[in-house]
Amino acid sequence: MSAQGILITAFAGAGLSYALGLTSARLREVFAIVVSVLLVCLIAITHGQGAEHVYYPDFLGLDLVLRMDALAWFFAITVSMVGCLSVIFSLHYVRGKEKENFYYFALLLVNAAMLGIVLSGDLLSFFIFWEIMSWAAFLLISYKRGRALDAGLKYVIMSILGSCAMLLALLYLYANYNTLVISDLAQQIRSAAGGFPLWVMLAFALGFGIKCALIPLHTWLPDAHSEAPSPFSAVLSGILIKMGIYGFILVMYGVVGLKLLLEVGAPWLHFHTVLCWLGAITILIPTFIALLQDDAKRLLAWSSIGQIGYIMLAIGVATSLGLAGALFHTLNHAVFKALLFLAVGAVEYKTGGVRDLNRLGGLIRRMPVTFACALIGGLGLIGVPLTSGFVSKWLIYKTLITEGHPFLALAALVGTWGAILYVYKLLHNMFLGQLPEKYANLEAAPFSMQLPLMICGFIIVLFGILPGIPLSVIGGIVGTLGFEPVTATLTGFGPQIGPLNTLNLCAAFAGVLLVIVAFRGIAARPKPVSQDDSYAAGAAAPAGKYHHTVRFYDPLERMTGGYLRDWVDQFYLSAAGKAKGVFNGVRRIYTGDVRTYVMYIVALLTFLIFAHTAGWL
Amino acid sequence: MTRIIQLVLSPLIALVVGVLLLGLSRKIIARIHRRYGPPIYQPVIDVIRMMSQRSISHGSLFDLGVVFALAGSLVTVMFIPLGGTQACQPFAHGVLCPLSSSGGLLVVMYLMLLGPLGLALGAGDSANPNASIGVSRKLLLALAYEVPFLLVILAVMSHYETISLTEIVARQQQAGWGALSVPLSAVAAFLILPAMLGVRPFDLVSAPQEIASGPMAEYGGRSLALIKLYGATHLFLVIALFVDLFLGGGVNLATFLLKMLIVFMAVEMINAVLPRVKIEDAIKFCWKWPAGLALLQMAITVLSKSG
Repeated sequence: MSAQGILITAFAGAGLSYALGLTSARLREVFAIVVSVLLVCLIAITHGQGAEHVYYPDFLGLDLVLRMDALAWFFAITVSMVGCLSVIFSLHYVRGKEKENFYYFALLLVNAAMLGIVLSGDLLSFFIFWEIMSWAAFLLISYKRGRALDAGLKYVIMSILGSCAMLLALLYLYANYNTLVISDLAQQIRSAAGGFPLWVMLAFALGFGIKCALIPLHTWLPDAHSEAPSPFSAVLSGILIKMGIYGFILVMYGVVGLKLLLEVGAPWLHFHTVLCWLGAITILIPTFIALLQDDAKRLLAWSSIGQIGYIMLAIGVATSLGLAGALFHTLNHAVFKALLFLAVGAVEYKTGGVRDLNRLGGLIRRMPVTFACALIGGLGLIGVPLTSGFVSKWLIYKTLITEGHPFLALAALVGTWGAILYVYKLLHNMFLGQLPEKYANLEAAPFSMQLPLMICGFIIVLFGILPGIPLSVIGGIVGTLGFEPVTATLTGFGPQIGPLNTLNLCAAFAGVLLVIVAFRGIAARPKPVSQDDSYAAGAAAPAGKYHHTVRFYDPLERMTGGYLRDWVDQFYLSAAGKAKGVFNGVRRIYTGDVRTYVMYIVALLTFLIFAHTAGWL
Repeated sequence: MTRIIQLVLSPLIALVVGVLLLGLSRKIIARIHRRYGPPIYQPVIDVIRMMSQRSISHGSLFDLGVVFALAGSLVTVMFIPLGGTQACQPFAHGVLCPLSSSGGLLVVMYLMLLGPLGLALGAGDSANPNASIGVSRKLLLALAYEVPFLLVILAVMSHYETISLTEIVARQQQAGWGALSVPLSAVAAFLILPAMLGVRPFDLVSAPQEIASGPMAEYGGRSLALIKLYGATHLFLVIALFVDLFLGGGVNLATFLLKMLIVFMAVEMINAVLPRVKIEDAIKFCWKWPAGLALLQMAITVLSKSG
């Protein structure tokens, strides 16, 4: 199956699901799932193929090209997987809400457009699919109206700015090389000299940086992620922002190439070094902001920005291990962040829209499966050994330390220790502690919501114990982008890359666990007691009100809260406010009085005549 | 075969030595306070007593969290070199570090997370606010001491240009102790040792008089016995890591344990005389002095490497 077939299936699926929804809601749901699963299968069977063909010759004098290679396949399978899981999750989530047809159409369209982006073989198709994705995403972010509309507007304005920058880069490239086909550009740009590649990359970096929420271009993300419907938040955080990452990798290593990239910028300050440091800042600040959030989805949104920092940092280092770590972390983050957003979505669905971390608690008793999956996702996010997040973060740290960037490594490591705090806060405030009385009879989430969670959880553990499965694909991609291929064993790395064997770790852990459980078995079984039967220094514990959640990290909050406002967002908003004032002033010249307009015309004519006689024109 | 013996041996050593150190700690503090103190094997008696008592349970995570904490810390021990093995020659060769080829210092750092995390999850499930407050303090304290600790680790790794702990130890035995090559890091690491061990002046996590032992508020019986063993293993782990990073590990197990004993005594001296600090002050302290020293050492290391 070629790239063309995949895209036709994806786009036709989106259109047809809308048409089918007009006749029967049930039919549309089945169809949407069939299309998403079909896409995963279609992409899976194209593994290892490399093809490039023109699908629309001579469009405005340019050939539109589709291609399939290792990098495209890797992103395509991630996109289709997460897309499929979010469609399955949506079944119950949107059932009975308004505009269901529109929802499914837009969701499938976003997924199709993202497949289009990664399968594009020329930058014009890339741009077209990029715009389809941006606009379809806008429709979904503002699906709930109200505050969501503001969030969507913020998103779309920033997206447009990014698109303009990207278009500028496209024009610049076209004016110089007369082609936008990626493989041709990569051939021709090698001879480029001076500031040309820098300007092209800066313009692209603006477009991609806004999409993947690199600080200081991140301000749309916290609003958009928290206001969007939860299944779409999973898509948004899991894969849509990764399109920015894909763009960075494509332009930096696919088009400009490693050799030229290392020279771009001033001799004392290279482009990729700046990217590294931006990545480090993007890890640190959002991590500490995430600690202070009370809205579950907002907390996860800030965490997404932080994790993007890791990926950007690893891309910027420009080594084969670093890029492997970046790609692996991209996959991991897609899986565990989708899981966490869906888990929060399941809680939100069952409790009637509550995602305030101070109003939940104790849900482990009512939703044990959701909690277990969320726990795995959280551990993956921290990067605890035996989850996939550990291996990708290990690769990133290892690169930073051996390449001699201990300060960047420090930022990455501190970010992880911050992540522990916000992950615990999320899990504790929602699932642990006391169960409020009104949720005492809550039912578990329906199976269609639990299934995506379980699949994600399974992937996290599987790739954590056998990281060789994804790393064999990733090692190959790194090889095609001009680096030395990374060779990993099924269970980690040999002595030349660094000692790591996750299977031994798993076996040791399992063995010790068994011994402890056996030892514990000697003692009598403990007596189960209710949550109210707890120690309160002799007083009776008040039911349902005996839960420590509000300002969970109060001492730190008091110390850092003053510094951790989103300065960048405030700056943009004040800039927007000032601009509005200026435009309001300009508007006053339209008085609506004909005499004023006559005066403008006379004044202009006078100026022209004067200029002419003075010899200016 | 020797490998299997090593795999059993190193967690056992950690448990036995850790428990005895806990007993020794009470003895030392008692003597400084001019009391007689309990016998040194008192923690063993405690564990046996607790195992024989029937406890309560607030849920499966409440029970399992503790198991994970103990398992995590025992697995971590297997990644830490416990000195050469000349003393127990027929059973083991080379360095006593059964899983050294499966992971280096980065793995150790991450595995050390499993203990606090397991305990935090278990305690969170107990639905007691004292426990939650304790966990909140524990995580904040961890963030506080991890910043200097990470700086220390990074300086050491940059200095020896490796992430393998056995190699770091081997290099020290050839070219002198880490305490001499990266002295400021060693000082910083020593300053945060009480925080990492959770002893005074940083015993604000359990703080029995304020928050009813914090995370342990609801635990009793067999779970509390496991927590005790976890505490012992953790104590062993932290001090062993300090010895490996800065005091050149050990030529054999005996010298290794001797060095551990000396470091432990020094920490206990501080433990015995200082009062408890507030969590804010703990964070401020850790981010000021140890972090400053460690940062300085890292800058020096980086400059000397690039120069």
